[in-house]
Amino acid sequence: MFDWLKPNDVLWLIPAAPLLACLWIVVVGHVVRRQYAHRPVVVAIAISTALSYHLLLNVVPTGFVERDHGAHAETAAAHEHAEHVDSDTPADAEHPDVPEAHTHAADASGPTAISTTLYEWIRIGSEASPTLSIPVKLRADAMTALMLVMVTTVSLLVAVFASGYMKGDPGYPRFFASIALFVFSMCMLVLAGNFLLMFVFWEAVGLCSYLLIGFWFKKPSAAAAAKKAFVVNRIGDFGFILGVFLIWVTFDTLDFDVLFANPLAIRAIVSQQPEIFTFICMLLFVGAIGKSAQFPLHVWLPDAMEGPTPVSALIHAATMVTAGVYLVARCTPFFILAPKAQMFVAGIGAVTALIAAITALTQYDLKRVLAYSTVSQLGYMFMALGAAGAGTNLATLAVTFAMFHMFTHAFFKAVLFLSAGSVMHSMGDVIDMRRFSGLRSVLPITHITFLAGALALAGFPLLSGFWSKDEILSIVFEATKGTQLHSIKVMFPFTNYHWVIEFTTGTYYTLILGVGLLASLMTAFYTFRAYFMTFWGEQKFPEEAGHHPHDAPPAMAIPLLILGVAALIVGGIAGPTHLYGNYLAQTPGLPAGDHLQPNMLMMGISSVLAILGIGLAYVCYVATPAIARDMKSSMSPLHAFSQSGLMLDYLYLRFVVLPLRLLAQIAEFFDRWVIDVIVDCFGFVPGLFGAILRPIHSGYVQNYAMVMLIGLVVCLVSVLRVLAGTL
Amino acid sequence: MNESLQNLNGAIQLVLPEAVLLASVCLIFFAAPFLVSERGEAPVGLRHRWGWLSLLTLLVAGWIGWNATEMPHTSGPFVADGLTLFVRGLTLATGAVLVLLHWNQADDARSGESHACLLAILAGVNLVAAANDLVGLFVALELISIPTYLFLLLPRRDAPAQEATLKYFLLSIFSSAIVLFGMSYLYGATGTTNLMAIHQGFASGGNLPHNPLVAVATVMLIAGLGFRLTAVPFHFYAPDVFQGAQPSAAAMLSFVPKVAGFVALLRLLVPAAAGETTLQSWMMIPSAVNVLWWLAVATMFTGNLMALMQTDVRRLLAFSSVSHAGYMMVGLVVGMQGSQQVSGISALLYYLAVYGVMTLGAFAILIAAARSNRRIESLDDLAGLSRTKPAMALVLSVFLFSLTGLPPTAGFLGKFNLFFAAWSQGTESSRLLACLLGVNAALGAWYYLRMIGVMYLRDPVDRSDDVRPLEIPSLVAAAGCLLGTVGLFFAPSGLWTHIQSLVR
Repeated sequence: MFDWLKPNDVLWLIPAAPLLACLWIVVVGHVVRRQYAHRPVVVAIAISTALSYHLLLNVVPTGFVERDHGAHAETAAAHEHAEHVDSDTPADAEHPDVPEAHTHAADASGPTAISTTLYEWIRIGSEASPTLSIPVKLRADAMTALMLVMVTTVSLLVAVFASGYMKGDPGYPRFFASIALFVFSMCMLVLAGNFLLMFVFWEAVGLCSYLLIGFWFKKPSAAAAAKKAFVVNRIGDFGFILGVFLIWVTFDTLDFDVLFANPLAIRAIVSQQPEIFTFICMLLFVGAIGKSAQFPLHVWLPDAMEGPTPVSALIHAATMVTAGVYLVARCTPFFILAPKAQMFVAGIGAVTALIAAITALTQYDLKRVLAYSTVSQLGYMFMALGAAGAGTNLATLAVTFAMFHMFTHAFFKAVLFLSAGSVMHSMGDVIDMRRFSGLRSVLPITHITFLAGALALAGFPLLSGFWSKDEILSIVFEATKGTQLHSIKVMFPFTNYHWVIEFTTGTYYTLILGVGLLASLMTAFYTFRAYFMTFWGEQKFPEEAGHHPHDAPPAMAIPLLILGVAALIVGGIAGPTHLYGNYLAQTPGLPAGDHLQPNMLMMGISSVLAILGIGLAYVCYVATPAIARDMKSSMSPLHAFSQSGLMLDYLYLRFVVLPLRLLAQIAEFFDRWVIDVIVDCFGFVPGLFGAILRPIHSGYVQNYAMVMLIGLVVCLVSVLRVLAGTL
Repeated sequence: MNESLQNLNGAIQLVLPEAVLLASVCLIFFAAPFLVSERGEAPVGLRHRWGWLSLLTLLVAGWIGWNATEMPHTSGPFVADGLTLFVRGLTLATGAVLVLLHWNQADDARSGESHACLLAILAGVNLVAAANDLVGLFVALELISIPTYLFLLLPRRDAPAQEATLKYFLLSIFSSAIVLFGMSYLYGATGTTNLMAIHQGFASGGNLPHNPLVAVATVMLIAGLGFRLTAVPFHFYAPDVFQGAQPSAAAMLSFVPKVAGFVALLRLLVPAAAGETTLQSWMMIPSAVNVLWWLAVATMFTGNLMALMQTDVRRLLAFSSVSHAGYMMVGLVVGMQGSQQVSGISALLYYLAVYGVMTLGAFAILIAAARSNRRIESLDDLAGLSRTKPAMALVLSVFLFSLTGLPPTAGFLGKFNLFFAAWSQGTESSRLLACLLGVNAALGAWYYLRMIGVMYLRDPVDRSDDVRPLEIPSLVAAAGCLLGTVGLFFAPSGLWTHIQSLVR
């Protein structure tokens, strides 16, 4: 029976609802009732959201109860669940409402995942045992459910916000069609049951990102930013697809259930090719670097702020950019076999966190501050993911903490961006913080919500960011206890001289911990720098704002308030109570790990750093603004260095873009003056032959008969000559 | 006496649909003069009645043909094997399209006779496919030729039409003489006019395939029937006649004689091995393969290169039909020796059906898009069609894409099958032929796409208001052809498995 209450029967509806909304707008809503184009989208996302919560409550049999590793009771329960799902299969086949629904429980011995195959997209080879089979298979487990809840909730609130924010824009239906397409793609990315399908929707969210960054495509800067985001992401995607190829070559399958639920097969491959997982993981991580804006490919994200602010909040802060984190978390069974790759992940995360934080210190564009802070926070998440390089026992915790930070970050960064959008809305699209100040009394709601988000981001004690960031710092702290010795051999080209750097895992992670703490201080500082510059000081408006700047209308205010409350408390509810961790641990493929006691040292240090950062910002920007001015003038080269994003854009321009452009010009010259000329010559030849044939089509019937006769004679002679030869 | 009556009865049973067609022809020829006054005036709208009558006739013939059973083994004058039934289905279906195209092309007074001629031509094609005797085959071929002369002249009697008809008449007689010459040699070599007996003579071994008489006969038959295929150098009439004749007549000439020619060649140039049905072991006399190879190449190239030079749409389509004849001859050269999946003959038969819908569809749009003051003649008349008649421009583009051989149209599958058959035969010459086919497909793209470009990128030359009523029969025909062109791409399996069952 088709059962609305059974998660695998409604799985397909989660992405289908936004897709239908998108199609509806493209076909109908684009023409009629344009100003109501947000309605189908909001309704569709609301359906997806409801179903996601339904999935969250039902996908894992034991729910939020702690998972007891190795206990028989758990195994038996999982067995029961598997049988329960299996017993429904024939009933499903009878009922054609779900296209070719095949449900089965994978990995009966551990936590389970549910899946639905909608359609066989690619099959090579026989039906029974295909060489390559790529079904469009939706698969959900605990991690998927948590991601879906986060994605759909934030999407819903942002869509409601955008219905107010985008009002009156000529591209109103186009905007909501793109948003719906994005939600569809993101849900499919999260639900994908194999690597290729995931890659397809990985690209699809990239496409949506491109469409939405360039939403105001008539603005040259927006068009350029969209192009930059797309091109930079391509580099990462190239690594990802190579990684997928390598997985295919190694395992002969791309199916998550087969790959992750089968430790024996993985171990067999490790014994044959010990380094293969390092390669696979590095390539997959290259994909994550691109999508999640990690150094050195993070340069696209700040520019992506050219898009409408709800897009920045949804795609470039809360959801799409976390796809890289999700990818690495999803591939944990691979990463635990590649400690080197994990250390690399942690290193890149730390470098990104630091660079982005330094850059954010001096930005004047409110949205760019938030963008760099997003980059920095994503760096934190990768830092956590990489912490498991110190020992497999940390893997589950590392994934949990990274995913948890992603979860809380989604809420507080979304509220920050939306508040920034609200500021922009009332300031007549001006976002330069030097041109307005003292908005506290003018925009009371926005002020409160921004403050909530800022406190959470800064890691103010007992708020969301505090819990999640503290967990990340404590797992890195755990990792500093590693003792394994590593060495890097630096070769100098053309000489025999080389230089060996030796260090232990502990030293490495200590360094990263230091960076993490420093970045957390800077986070608090730059967040509150932006807050104080915008909302404190003397009241000042740009002339674009008109005379009476007004606060957010209800359509914008309600999502802001909901998100603001969520930003404050969601971390406290789900973090210290281990709700999130216990639930996530039910994901199949995550190794068993121990609990981590709350690390009081780290909590103390990070609280002090957060309050110190906020205090410093207060001193510099409210109490005695002269300090900030003096520091700026006394350290102007450093200031310029930070403001230009450590000159990375300049370096890219100089050493990547310009050489490529030169190459393109050479290629164009070659194409125009060599290839084209050759092609033109080829084009000339048929005309020449045609001109030769033309005269015999004279129009005289006697000529025609003559040529026919000659043709006949030629044929006859040729046949008879052949015949004479054979006789 | 009784026995011969029974034989006659049995033979008529095999060609009942053709008998229906011919009965209708007699009826129209008999009745039509009485409905026209002495001064040549007819009641207004009489042509509609003739049109409906023709469609009805085709429907009845089709219904009878649908219920007919295969009778591959007969010693009588007719056979009804799979090929016969296939050709019958093809001619009756395209015949309906042709009736629709011709609907308003002849005025009321002459409509009856010209519709009767069309039906007679269709019956002739079916009889060619059903013939089991050299004499019967020749008579069937003439049953196509003689009504064609009338069909060319009846709708229009101006000087270009007269010239076109006369050219066709003279050259057609010439080619018929060559065919007859070839048949007489075949008779001389085998001593019988019964095709089944001739096949058995070849199948029983001996020196028959190497007999010089047979070689001469083969060349003569190819040359004579090549006229109907518009194979180079027997194609010369095509551009002049297409230009001079009424568009519906040109549409008929572009397709129907080709069916007759290819089917006659399949029946005549026969087999060297014994088989259940004649097609199963179809194989050409070796000495003729080379001739046909060269003819195919010359036909493809001449058709395409000349089409490149044309500015008159009708001449362009004439040369395009020449080049398509060349493509189909590739299938004939490959014969049964293609791959397991695709033999040359099956590719040829498939292409024949596809070519029918796409070329008739193109003509249908040309007829429907004509303005009140002038027909579509030169490329300039097509300029800006996308703006004046966007739907027609789009549909014509589909047909042109199909003629080019681009997916998602049936023309792509047709060319692909031919290419695949030639390539998988595996000999050097057949692979060269496949490559030349590819080159020619590219050449063809040039002028077809140019037509699309003219329709979409140029401004209309004549901007005067057009008050001509919609040409509904042609539009219905175009819709049917569109369905075939797109449908045979997305769901080719019905037709394809049928063809496979014929030749295997």
